[in-house]
Amino acid sequence: MSLDAVGLEVMGHAFASVAEEMGLVLIHSAVSPNIRERRDCSAALFDAAGEMIAQAAHIPVHLGALHESVAAVRALSPAPGEVFILNDPYAGGSHLPDITLVGAVEVDGAVGGYGVVRAHHSDVGGMQAGSMPAGARDIFAEGVVVPPLLLTPEVERFLLANVRTPEARRADLAAQRAAVERGADDLRALAARHGWAVLREAARDLQAYAERRARQALARVEATGLTATDWLEGDGVDDRDLAIQVRVDIRDGVFHADFTGTAPAARGNVNCPLAVARSAVLFVVRTLLPEDVPTNGGVTRVVRVTAPEGCLVHARFPSAVAAGNVETSQRIADTVFLALANGGLSVPAQGQGTMNNVTFGGIGVRGSGLEAGWTYYETMGGGQGASPGAHGPSGVHVGMSNTRNTPVEVLEMEYPLRIRSYGVRRGSGGAGKWMGGAGVTREFEALAPMDASFLSERRRHAPCGAGGGGAGAPGRTLVNGVPLPPKVSTPLAPGDVVRVETPGGGGWGQPEPGGER
Amino acid sequence: MRVGVDVGGTFTDLVALTPDGAIEVRKVATTPEDPTVGMFRALDALAGAPHAPAIELLVHGTTIATNALLERRGARVVLVTTRGFEDLLWLRRQDRAALYDLARHHPPPLVARGDVVGVTERIGPSGVLEPLTEGEVARVVAGVRTLAPEAVAIALLFAFRDPTHERRLAGALRDALPRVPVATGHEVLPLFREFERTSTTTVEAYLRPKVSTYLERLDGGVRKRGIGALRVMTSSGGTRAPAAAAAHAASLALSGPAGGVVGARLVGAAVGQSDLLTLDMGGTSADASLVVGGAPLADGGSTVGGVPLALPAVLIETVSAGGGSIARVDEGGALRVGPESAGAVPGPACYGRGGERPTVTDACVALGWLDADSPLADEVRLDPAAAERALRQLGPAAGSDSARMAAGIVAVAGAVMARALKRVSVARGLDPRRMALLPFGGAGGLFGCQLAEALGMGTIVIPPHPGALSALGLAAADERADLLASFHRPLDGLEPRALALAFGPLLAEGARQIPGGALPRFADCRFAGQGYEVTIPVDSDDPARIRDAFLAAHRRRYGHAGGGLALEIVNLRVVALREGPLPRFAGETRTGRRPVGPRAFVVRGERVTGSVWSLDELAAGVTIQGPAILAGRDATALVEPGWCGTVHASGAVLLVRT
Repeated sequence: MSLDAVGLEVMGHAFASVAEEMGLVLIHSAVSPNIRERRDCSAALFDAAGEMIAQAAHIPVHLGALHESVAAVRALSPAPGEVFILNDPYAGGSHLPDITLVGAVEVDGAVGGYGVVRAHHSDVGGMQAGSMPAGARDIFAEGVVVPPLLLTPEVERFLLANVRTPEARRADLAAQRAAVERGADDLRALAARHGWAVLREAARDLQAYAERRARQALARVEATGLTATDWLEGDGVDDRDLAIQVRVDIRDGVFHADFTGTAPAARGNVNCPLAVARSAVLFVVRTLLPEDVPTNGGVTRVVRVTAPEGCLVHARFPSAVAAGNVETSQRIADTVFLALANGGLSVPAQGQGTMNNVTFGGIGVRGSGLEAGWTYYETMGGGQGASPGAHGPSGVHVGMSNTRNTPVEVLEMEYPLRIRSYGVRRGSGGAGKWMGGAGVTREFEALAPMDASFLSERRRHAPCGAGGGGAGAPGRTLVNGVPLPPKVSTPLAPGDVVRVETPGGGGWGQPEPGGER
Repeated sequence: MRVGVDVGGTFTDLVALTPDGAIEVRKVATTPEDPTVGMFRALDALAGAPHAPAIELLVHGTTIATNALLERRGARVVLVTTRGFEDLLWLRRQDRAALYDLARHHPPPLVARGDVVGVTERIGPSGVLEPLTEGEVARVVAGVRTLAPEAVAIALLFAFRDPTHERRLAGALRDALPRVPVATGHEVLPLFREFERTSTTTVEAYLRPKVSTYLERLDGGVRKRGIGALRVMTSSGGTRAPAAAAAHAASLALSGPAGGVVGARLVGAAVGQSDLLTLDMGGTSADASLVVGGAPLADGGSTVGGVPLALPAVLIETVSAGGGSIARVDEGGALRVGPESAGAVPGPACYGRGGERPTVTDACVALGWLDADSPLADEVRLDPAAAERALRQLGPAAGSDSARMAAGIVAVAGAVMARALKRVSVARGLDPRRMALLPFGGAGGLFGCQLAEALGMGTIVIPPHPGALSALGLAAADERADLLASFHRPLDGLEPRALALAFGPLLAEGARQIPGGALPRFADCRFAGQGYEVTIPVDSDDPARIRDAFLAAHRRRYGHAGGGLALEIVNLRVVALREGPLPRFAGETRTGRRPVGPRAFVVRGERVTGSVWSLDELAAGVTIQGPAILAGRDATALVEPGWCGTVHASGAVLLVRT
């Protein structure tokens, strides 16, 4: 190691600042609410060898998932200064709405590193507005597939010709490009300040530092042969349960998760590429590490994820994958937590394990600015699992998501919907020495004819407790009091009321007799 | 004369602007049990001087609201809200407190869940959906009375559109409980987004009893001494009369730090720098802020003590890098500074008050930046041997000798601060390279060159009296009231008359609060459907000119102008304003033209011999080549090699790269 204690910390801040700045440029210049307000995006800086130096992750599902994007672009031998675009889940992407730009940063006439910016575009074409169609059976139904391509005006024109909202997409892509370019400028400025050789060395030392910290933390939780099975509740085509099975070995400071035994790829869109499974496992590992360990390629070195090709979590072209990123990723993280808990490790109980995706859409509303048709998409928080030593927080996003809600007043001003109530779902948290967090209830009333679609999990299989704690209450979705299956689309008439009750988190430890709550 | 008093955690600073333009500075120890004791002690010392002019105006920057929020020592509040939405404060915006620490909770709301009263009523975007009956009003009043609150917050859905239900409830509650203050959402923050408005309204109720008692007592003491008038600094960087301030208690949450940013603006104006990145380095933390186009940048979305507060406030980003921040080597072998702090007690090891762990201040002593022979303001004498002992605990990983360890600590503290400065500017689309850096506080000036180089900045402004800049800002601050109204209309097809009509009540209220003041108008505009608004000045009612102003501002800040998306006006704002005097900064009385001596110290690992200058005595026009140390009574600055300083007529030192 060549960086001393001071250099490690100083350069760590410097690189983190570059990634942070890229993310800020993106959030503050994007147009669409999904990027600006919900922050469904991330930015990272990679070295010339394709290893991550720093990431500004606003949402855990992107954690460590950009590695494949850089690898896919590096395979095309990019020239210095070139910027590539991709969304192909089978060539560096996650699901089609996540469009990733990878810029090969020119330093001294060569490729000195890569600036990577991923953002969830709420429209990439396909069979349904919003590009998250519940009934998709292959990737082609989900939208336009962009393999890694040099981002030229022609490529952009082609892409925009295949989407429903080209103006917003053009602006968001411009914001992504601006963020990539800011990262490149910053990296060159750092090189000018510290010297390029020093900078390259520093990046390697920081990765080694993060690896060292991660290995030290994992060495404290050595364990082998921890297993668990958990379930996805249907794939949007039929309602049968699909198994996710994992075996975890933590040995010599390396965390290995193997998904042999997981169901084969489904007909619907709950599949995901291995990159998404890796993000979910990395998320679990990240919660085991001290918070100040930098997220870079050094951490990913201590995580190994394997799965048989063609299974649900390592899908093959052309399986549909849109929901894999939002729901299956949650269940993968849940299953890994469950394996650790089954093995007696001191980890939190399972949280709500779903994002409770709801979409309302309609056409032609009474001269209200929505004549051209409208779509409203929301995900809902629920109960976090209890930790040894703390009750689970209530009414929050858990696991792979952390987006904010849409205020009631915004929703009612912009869409023909009324919120009848919004509250904490008391009593839904699992019992235990430490109680699981409670879910949320929200009642929507339709004010116009519309279509509603629900993509949810944990309606049958409750979030498990840990250490002897009880399960959280499963969620429910009801229309006029009648429960719906987890994944379904249904038309609504004015006056219809949709009630969503999101799951509670699992409890931790045996409830104490006469304990509080 | 005008006097500003800034009550900080350790010191109470007083700055007097005399009619001839001179600046008088006093510093006394803060009296935490009753801050007014220290404050009047300083005032009496000032007024007791022979030929002291009468004090016409006393401006106070207070931490009473901030501390009540941080320490959770406000009133017991009952929250009255729309039935079915009683849990809003607990649900927040559904994002969790920490991405990877799954046990972390948000700080609990200021109200107990049992103290929330739901009201059967409902207003929607276009009017009343469910009327509020007289019977329901009576039921709510009875319910609130049973809970025996010290203050009441009323926050109903869509009250920013139609305040009638809130007004009726407030009227009934005020009649029934005349001694209990009642805060309503439509008065506190008449803007959309129910969680932020409810939270802010609750803060207002929580703070009001404590703040009004304090200000009444203070105002009494001020009158007894024959001082002309008292005004109080608000979070938005302007001052209010005590009664108005007490009725807007939540607007005092950032009263303390706002003074420093105003002071920075004044110094910037004096030296001709209107775009500034400012850094106030104190004992436990450093506050970064921005002055753009000669005005402090205001944001509408801060949190204090984890409680969201959506009132206009000077932007402040705090990082835990202060003089008392503690250094350690972590298990991976990296040197970390903060967030743990030695605070005021026991303080850094070199204070000799029982502190043993190495801090940033100890590093500055070991590097020879601070002079052991000059006592600090609090009569503290620095003990270099104690600093060395503390540094050596870090062990060989942090450096082979204590000077190297010390150099490492200041490099790491600098990296933490540089990142914060970058964040505040970049997040607002501003390029630090086109701005000047203005460091202040006791130790800010020691980090100026290091930070400017990290951010690619070419100019540093060391203000006169850097340790009392907040009090200076107070003494010269504007009178200001912020008036807000919700609007929510598309810009296309907007009648100019409709806009003028909507501004009318705000202008009238502004004129009432600050008679004869300026009344600039602003609008929060956005592309339709966006979640972020940009505030632009509205000089004309013509929608086309508003559109042009918005697009230009958006392009400047975000790099693009939306490509033809529709615009809407979301909120209207009027800032009633009467400007304070620009201090004359009587630099002509300063006569120091020579260094007071040489000193050996360490800069970036190199031992150098540089000149030491008395910061408070520098005569205008003097040039200072780095390496040099500018030592003042309450602050020290470092001119690193490669930088050259020129003393401005105001007493500020402008540093540029050579």
